[in-house]
Amino acid sequence: MTGAGRIEATAADGGWPVIALSGEHDLSTAPELRARLHDLAEADAVIIDLDQTTFVDSSILGVLVGGLRRARERDVPFVVVLGDQAHPAIRRIFELTGLHDVFPIYPTRGQAQAGLSRQGETA
Amino acid sequence: MNQAADVSLIVPAVPDSIAVIRQTVSGICEALGADTRAVGDIKLAATEACTNVVLHAYANGDAGTIEVDAYAAEDELRLLVRDHGAGMTPAPMAEGLGLGLPLIAALTSTLTILEPENGGTEVSMTFSLRESTPDP
Repeated sequence: MTGAGRIEATAADGGWPVIALSGEHDLSTAPELRARLHDLAEADAVIIDLDQTTFVDSSILGVLVGGLRRARERDVPFVVVLGDQAHPAIRRIFELTGLHDVFPIYPTRGQAQAGLSRQGETA
Repeated sequence: MNQAADVSLIVPAVPDSIAVIRQTVSGICEALGADTRAVGDIKLAATEACTNVVLHAYANGDAGTIEVDAYAAEDELRLLVRDHGAGMTPAPMAEGLGLGLPLIAALTSTLTILEPENGGTEVSMTFSLRESTPDP
């Protein structure tokens, strides 16, 4: 399908689990993202990597906010990777919706892993 | 508007159609020389309008269509997204944020939503091709 994106979930070699979205994502891929998040419902933290994402709409944001809400209910971190090199469209929708102030955002996946590990040590 | 559309597209009102419309709109924008930010904004607004059709227009399960007409002018693009469904009815959505229409409003120069007498909904959106966000 034209423009369809890929979703990859990785247990991340001893690190925190990552769900990485590449390409374009909308209502057609929202159910898969919801399922990947459901798979991590018991995880101690979740990293959403949007560095290779070129488009998301409000359907995807809705799924991410649902994941954040459930993570907060369990008192576990739910963070987003959105660096300077991220696609301008992704930064734009996060700014338009104010969600850049809602999600903890890290500039790289490595910094997200390190940041969550520090939180784990101090918790 | 009686003017013939420059591009018209009719697709099934299903999730997989939304990317087809988005790619078509993106191609139109690039052919018109829209700047990068305008292309992104127009793709997002078109996606949100079509998502509303897929989620809400044909809630009774009827197979329906999304019709998109594009009208190009020198510095702006008008998109008309039309369905023949039940009209603007609030519908529960599992994890919807209700951001679709507010996003469209933020991304467009003008936005008009009509419910024609013969049914359905028409969302008319106009975008500047060079500076997509109106000055505050």
